[in-house]
Amino acid sequence: MRLGHLHLDPTMTDFAAEPHPPRMLRRMTRARRFRRQLVPYLYLLPAVACFVIWIYEPLAQAFVLSFQQWNLLPTAPKTWVGLDNYRNIFDLPKFWQALGNTWYYLVGLLPLAVLLPLVIALFTQDLPPRSRNLYRALIFVPMIVPPVVAAAVWRWLLDPSHGILNLGLQGLGTKPIGFLSDPDLALWTITFITGWKLIGFATLILSAANAAIDESLVEAARLDGASKWEIIRDIRLPLLSPTLMLLILMVVLLGAQWSFSYIHVLTEGGPLGSTTNIYYLLWQFGFGSLSVGWSSASAVILFVGFGLLAAALFALKAKVTFHDD
Amino acid sequence: MMTDAATLAPVQPRRRALALSGWDTGVGHALMILVSLVCVFPIYWMIVTSLRPENAIFSTRLWPDAASLDNYAYALRAVPMQRMLVNTFIVSAAVTAVQLLSGILAGYAFARWRFRGSAILFGAVALTWLVPLQVVMIPNYLLVARLGMIDTLGALILPHIASAFAIMLLAQSMRSFPTEVVEAARMDGGNHWQILWQVIVPNLRGTLASLAILIFITTWNEYFWPLLLTRSPENSVVQIGLQMFISSEGTQWGPLMAASTMASLPILLIYLVLQRQVISSFMKSGLR
Repeated sequence: MRLGHLHLDPTMTDFAAEPHPPRMLRRMTRARRFRRQLVPYLYLLPAVACFVIWIYEPLAQAFVLSFQQWNLLPTAPKTWVGLDNYRNIFDLPKFWQALGNTWYYLVGLLPLAVLLPLVIALFTQDLPPRSRNLYRALIFVPMIVPPVVAAAVWRWLLDPSHGILNLGLQGLGTKPIGFLSDPDLALWTITFITGWKLIGFATLILSAANAAIDESLVEAARLDGASKWEIIRDIRLPLLSPTLMLLILMVVLLGAQWSFSYIHVLTEGGPLGSTTNIYYLLWQFGFGSLSVGWSSASAVILFVGFGLLAAALFALKAKVTFHDD
Repeated sequence: MMTDAATLAPVQPRRRALALSGWDTGVGHALMILVSLVCVFPIYWMIVTSLRPENAIFSTRLWPDAASLDNYAYALRAVPMQRMLVNTFIVSAAVTAVQLLSGILAGYAFARWRFRGSAILFGAVALTWLVPLQVVMIPNYLLVARLGMIDTLGALILPHIASAFAIMLLAQSMRSFPTEVVEAARMDGGNHWQILWQVIVPNLRGTLASLAILIFITTWNEYFWPLLLTRSPENSVVQIGLQMFISSEGTQWGPLMAASTMASLPILLIYLVLQRQVISSFMKSGLR
């Protein structure tokens, strides 16, 4: 190692100190500088090209397509229809139903993917490490299972005539329940499956945040005579709030998206459109009825809507995270 | 001071504070056992059902009395399962490799240099997660069609050449890489390329490994993009294969559960061996 050279000229990085005639040096440095300026972009090229080709350019294209009428066939003409697609979509009861369903998915996910994990994290902080590790390993399993497998397995468990869950309930005296065929239940069933996949993950995130809380704060409060509930309310919850916000942010922004696989495999949006959320509606417009314009217009609405929602949640999160100190 | 240190040093006082709440511990155990059951039983039931002979498929006994591999044999015959598993493996391995590669390069660029537009480019990378695949699916589909790559494995890999998460994680870990080591290597006359591959990458093995696990599992589980692109079973991935057992009217539960088990087996094996690493890499990733 020639570490000793370091003290000679610590600022020297790229320019080797070789003697050059001044003019040549200038030319060399300019060419070199250009090359040097180019280098970072070359390192970025694969990633940036991928994002431009597969995300940003298509986003612009979806925007343009949303003003056109087209049926996805290369030979068919594209007609410019202005705002007609948007107007038609807003007139469509199905769109409002899907929007409402998206809302129910999000609201239904929060107790499962945020509230329950919070309770579990708070209740299990005192468990001995060995059993805690075992529980961790077990509750994390749903997270890594392929979504299609999760859908298939739950379809089997919930099957009205032979599913073990339904048989168990019938043993308790209920009639067979059409968890996936009853329009009033199907959406909640899918929400439950989506949440089932997330419980372990959310619990671990919150447990980690909870374990990172300085115990001396809790100890001090305990010495001051604070009850267990007071400690949770006044110390733990405020300190956990940034993590909670992050989790809520993720669930709200991605929750409806995750349920796509379950909807497609289990109900295909039915019965009577009761499980169709906005993501699934995009899919139905685009590849079900081949109306590119409608699909793109709803894509734009979705993108703008969720963008605004994300901005609002980030602003809220920035406010809450202030507690962190 | 001394007394403070003495009370803090052993684990004893904390233990005592915890032991006070024996009832709480009991509730905690009960809660965790219940949640663990809810989380694991469906997977257990999948495996048990897959092992039941056909005449016992509707049995509700918690343990299969006579294990049989008939369902597996049937599933392998009904759809080209083996081929699909191999396809899924190829796609997942390829995506893992290229995403690591593009992530290493881009991460190095962000960590090493300040250049014109670097903040904007970093923002553009970070914001990609705001664009759901469903929003860009039609233009992406059209692009694949123009390339003549519908129903090919290549098309399943192409959009995943880069991922925002890999880039951001690697940029972050490269930023915290000790600069003295890098400077020393530069003094030795190493150029950026050599430093990246000979000094930095070998030292980031841990990060790269956990990232690789995450990318592999995520790609293995992917459903939406293959759903859009595959036409023939021979060119599709195992998640699509599963669906074939469901969509046919009157689900055949035994073969479906056997196929589901096969589709999740590689993931479950990885999890069994590398459980800690899998959990920590998923936690680092947020939810994506």
